Amino acid sequence: MNDNALWIILQRLRTPLLVLLVSYAISILGLVLIPGMDDKGEVYQMSFFDAFYFISYTASTIGFGETPYAFTYEQRLWVIVCIYLTVLGWFYAIGSLVSIISDKKLRLEIMRGRFKTRIETIKGEFIIVLGYNYVNAKIIQKLLHADLNVVLVDAKEDKINEFLLEDYSKSVPVMVGNALTTHMLIDAGIKKKTCITVIATFYKEEKNLRIAILTKFLNPKAEVIAKSTFNEISTSISDTDIVHRENPFEIFGKRFDIALTSPHVLILENWIYHNADLSDNTIYLPKGKYIICGYGRLGRVLKEQLDKHEMEYVFIDEAKIAKRDMKEPKSLLRANADDKEVLLSAGIKEAVCLVSGTQSDIDNLSILITAKKLNPDLYLIARENTMEEVSIFEAAKINWIIMLERILINKTSLQLIDPLKHSFLKMILNQNELWASTLVNLLKNQLGANPILIALSISEKSAYAIYHEIQLGKNIPIEVLLTSLKDRSNKHKAIILLLKRQGKEILLPQNEFLKLGDEILFACDQEAKEEIELIASNLYDLCYAYLGEEKKNWLFKKIFSS
Amino acid sequence: MNLEKVISGFFIILAMTLNFGFFYGEPTDTTLHSTYELFLALIISLIATVLKIGDKTQIGSVLLATSLVADIQLIAAVLVWTFAQYTGEVDGKTTATIVSLSGGALLANITSVILYIGETLKSKR
Repeated sequence: MNDNALWIILQRLRTPLLVLLVSYAISILGLVLIPGMDDKGEVYQMSFFDAFYFISYTASTIGFGETPYAFTYEQRLWVIVCIYLTVLGWFYAIGSLVSIISDKKLRLEIMRGRFKTRIETIKGEFIIVLGYNYVNAKIIQKLLHADLNVVLVDAKEDKINEFLLEDYSKSVPVMVGNALTTHMLIDAGIKKKTCITVIATFYKEEKNLRIAILTKFLNPKAEVIAKSTFNEISTSISDTDIVHRENPFEIFGKRFDIALTSPHVLILENWIYHNADLSDNTIYLPKGKYIICGYGRLGRVLKEQLDKHEMEYVFIDEAKIAKRDMKEPKSLLRANADDKEVLLSAGIKEAVCLVSGTQSDIDNLSILITAKKLNPDLYLIARENTMEEVSIFEAAKINWIIMLERILINKTSLQLIDPLKHSFLKMILNQNELWASTLVNLLKNQLGANPILIALSISEKSAYAIYHEIQLGKNIPIEVLLTSLKDRSNKHKAIILLLKRQGKEILLPQNEFLKLGDEILFACDQEAKEEIELIASNLYDLCYAYLGEEKKNWLFKKIFSS
Repeated sequence: MNLEKVISGFFIILAMTLNFGFFYGEPTDTTLHSTYELFLALIISLIATVLKIGDKTQIGSVLLATSLVADIQLIAAVLVWTFAQYTGEVDGKTTATIVSLSGGALLANITSVILYIGETLKSKR
């Protein structure tokens, strides 16, 4: 038990203990002093031992009877006093003990003690997740699935209990406490070298900023992943230097931009996130007039992109919009978007795409239904705010659903679990349409619509054979990994997407030689995955793929060469 | 004047004086050592212990430790006496054991009192 918890118990037990001690002392002393009568009718004095024995079982209401001899009336008179004194003393003591045990402060202290010990015993690196909300729950799920250590802190006990009821493969140290205080973060192990990341996706974004600042002072080496969608907070968070700032609106804006210029990049991205496979073609945005309902953070991002691509657009929002935002009054309607007349006057008949991006899910759905009736050919983009209604949105046949929470979950967990995939994604986002469509077609033709992604690092643990051959001074070309083990002249179904070497990233590498510490990302099918792993780790398979001959056993080699 | 200080000081010093009263006298002479005095010494020592609980300072911890030592010594003395009385006879040898055990408790109690006085003198108020 933790030191603090013990002290709390002892301090609270002081009065009950004193009451017990004094009542026992008085009763015992009285019994010893009052003369009794033995079985022969002679006067005797009770010994301290007899008195203590009698009081012990009387006080605990066990009541064995009068020992060693039947009591005289003087003695019985005193025993009545003793009973009320000691029994009440006991009840009081037990009552206090029970109330201490059920005391919230004490339970938290005990929890804190356990939490701290568990943090101390974590082997390897760990990630601190602050707050248990939908986004963080999904992130934790993915992190645990990837066998990473997670620590969770939430201010509400209910939330922690909710988390404990979930069935996770790994046990996670949890603590009820205010994550915004320094000592809570220190308890969660933020000062430890093995703490690599802190995730803060609080709805109130000032909290995220605060966490970022505290982390910077407590452990500058730890990364912070913080959600921020408001400009002023974003700027301050970026100023702390150690933060990966995630703004789902910005991420979506970038996607929208890419969808207008190079949709194949987006197809690749959705495939990497497992959102869709490569044959998905819902991403192609039509050209023409856009109607956007809702002019908030999302609307502003969209306006920027639409301006950039010189598209025609109309915004509909009930709230008053600052004049500097809207230079052309024509492109803004101040009205309730969920109204047939309003949509008609916005030009729904000739529009090609409708974005319903308000903060209310029901409004968004209702706008979509109205709009679809007026113009069945519309391309529909809907914003979904709470993940609880995923199924309704999926059933509504919407072309593109914006789920801000899912964007956050995907981005954050990919970054932590698959850094290689994340770097690949970052690189392809800057590629043009031609490059992306070539790659998509290549992948589709060679590997099918949904190839898997695997990462391989040239280290002793994951690529034993290659590691040892390189240490012997051999030059192994990267293409060796693609050789089919069934027939050396053929290749199995795999494509090398990325080679990461000492911080440098090479997209679709060719004619490279493997070096120690390389990290390689493949797209391949299940069979090729097994072959790549075999070639990397099995000396005999590597020898066949590399030289085209079976490796000689060293014993035979010695005999034959001598 | 602090009433709490008066009470805890009273019990700490009373524990020592009662202990001394029991300890004083020819160690082998049973008649010079009263059971009542031992009983009271033990009870007061226990009360003093409980009063010392809850002080997390360095000196508070040491005070509590000395009290615990005195308690254990006195309880040992009581147990020896009880065993001797009900399994044989309380002779000079047994009395010597009991008295020497209480002597150990006396030392612990003296240490406790010295520490207590030292702490009081150190305090500026």
